[in-house]
Amino acid sequence: MKNIPLIIGALLFSTLFHKQGIGLNLSIFNILTLIVLIIYNKNAFKQKSTIAYAVLYLITAASIFIYNNSLSIIANTIAFITLIGQVSEQNSSIYVNWLNGLYTCIAGLFHRNFGVNENEQKVESKKEIDYLHLAKIIGIPLIILTIFISLYKNGNPMFNGLINDIDFSIINFQWILVALCGYYLLSNISNPVIVDPATINDVQTGNILPYQESIETDNLKKEHQFGFILITALNALIIIFLITDITYLLSSNDLRASVFSNQVHSGINALIASIIIAIIIILYFFRGDLNFYKKNKNLKLVAYTWIILNAILVINIIIKDAQYIYYFGLTYKRIGVLVYLLLTVIGLVTTFIKVKDLKNFWYLFRINTVTAFTILIVSSTINWDSYITIYNLNYAKSMDFNYLIELSNNNAFILKNYLDKNNLNDKKTLTINRKFKNYLRELKNKSWQESQFDNFKLK
Amino acid sequence: MNTSLTILKATGLSFIIFWAIIFSEEKFMLDMFPYVFLSFIPIGFCCLIVICLTICPFFWAKNESKDSDTILKTYFPFYAIILFTLCSYGLITSNLNIFSVAFIISAFFTLLKSWTWLAKSHKNKKA
Repeated sequence: MKNIPLIIGALLFSTLFHKQGIGLNLSIFNILTLIVLIIYNKNAFKQKSTIAYAVLYLITAASIFIYNNSLSIIANTIAFITLIGQVSEQNSSIYVNWLNGLYTCIAGLFHRNFGVNENEQKVESKKEIDYLHLAKIIGIPLIILTIFISLYKNGNPMFNGLINDIDFSIINFQWILVALCGYYLLSNISNPVIVDPATINDVQTGNILPYQESIETDNLKKEHQFGFILITALNALIIIFLITDITYLLSSNDLRASVFSNQVHSGINALIASIIIAIIIILYFFRGDLNFYKKNKNLKLVAYTWIILNAILVINIIIKDAQYIYYFGLTYKRIGVLVYLLLTVIGLVTTFIKVKDLKNFWYLFRINTVTAFTILIVSSTINWDSYITIYNLNYAKSMDFNYLIELSNNNAFILKNYLDKNNLNDKKTLTINRKFKNYLRELKNKSWQESQFDNFKLK
Repeated sequence: MNTSLTILKATGLSFIIFWAIIFSEEKFMLDMFPYVFLSFIPIGFCCLIVICLTICPFFWAKNESKDSDTILKTYFPFYAIILFTLCSYGLITSNLNIFSVAFIISAFFTLLKSWTWLAKSHKNKKA
């Protein structure tokens, strides 16, 4: 009785995925997994955070149905793992949720097979199945029967005909195997497990540095001095870099794509190195005693200045990227740069808070992973191909038409609409029509499991 | 810990999964039977090598401070995650060729199940 939802789920799993592409089936599977999780883990769903993760999971399920692109599939997979991890332990950080979620999906059933009692943290031996006896009563008769059948086949043509007439094609073994995989997955997630030392350690670790009495030792003074000189020198360096970069931007009138591209990408590389080193250096100096050192005001001041200067560097790159987009249109790479800059700004703000409020390294890691996760989920709800196409066709000063054709089919209707309203040359007309017709054919050939939102536009 | 019995069980399980996947795609002919039967030898050899090299050392290397509970809780999750990653990589690079799929899936389930067999035999021996 307890396994009935899992068996129904497994049959549904095979119906949805056996020899099918991705589409409506993944969205239905999302609802199915959520039902299984709720049935077996009612207590976990009383927590608001679990409900929030479940809602995010459903949002990504909807975006798969609407857009059916790689980003929404990746976001959905990560949201699924996060939700499973959240159900296994509600008080852990998101990265531990990922670990627990992944482990549960992969080997939850085997973990429970050990009989590990989570309350007592003891491995209990379950009743041993006699595999040798099982092999004896099933395997050996099967082997001997097969040998005798092959012998008798040669001795009697009628028996040979009878054996050859046996047709197992009515049973689809592959369908059954897919159903077994579905059962394995649903059984794994029905009772999520935790990776023990990692989860316990995470739950016990707070966000605040433990208070220490200020000790004014020689070593601490030397470390303070070293930190102050180093960060001040780096501040001077970044100021010089910013002045020269802004001067170059203001004096240059060259708007070639390659020049812009080089500027933005080399700027990004500098930024990546600068921000990572900045955060590592700040974390190093503010890892312990220096946080409680009475004369650390100057060190904190140069650290804040450095964070602000890095933020100015980010603004500088945003301006370059915005100009690049204005003149040459949107591309995934240019959007990626903006997303990276957003993450960088958040990283700098959290580093500022870490120094100001005496937080530890885990605070930074927790808040930044949650931010990255949220940005991924939000990004999956946006039809980027559509926005890129609309912007490039209507607002960009110049653009690469072939790039729009190479994008996914999510822009096929927009391109066709644009073609109907504008006079384009023969080559462009032919390319757009070909893309549109191929997409229509693809949509029509889809089974109900693979169908997506665009299928309903056809009716 | 009964390693030889575990290898025997693992060979049986691996054999069943491997051929179940193959015959879900290919039609079974009685003439194939001797070859299927003989496949026990390479499958057993693979199980012997992989179990002895990747799972047994965790149990052999344990000292007084680490009992089998600690070994399971500490190493099994990461072993499972690494195995899953390698198997996924193998599946992607094999272009879902049926023999590769059968080999990888049977290896994945057999190795995870071998952990439970080894752990239980170790427990029973201690008891």
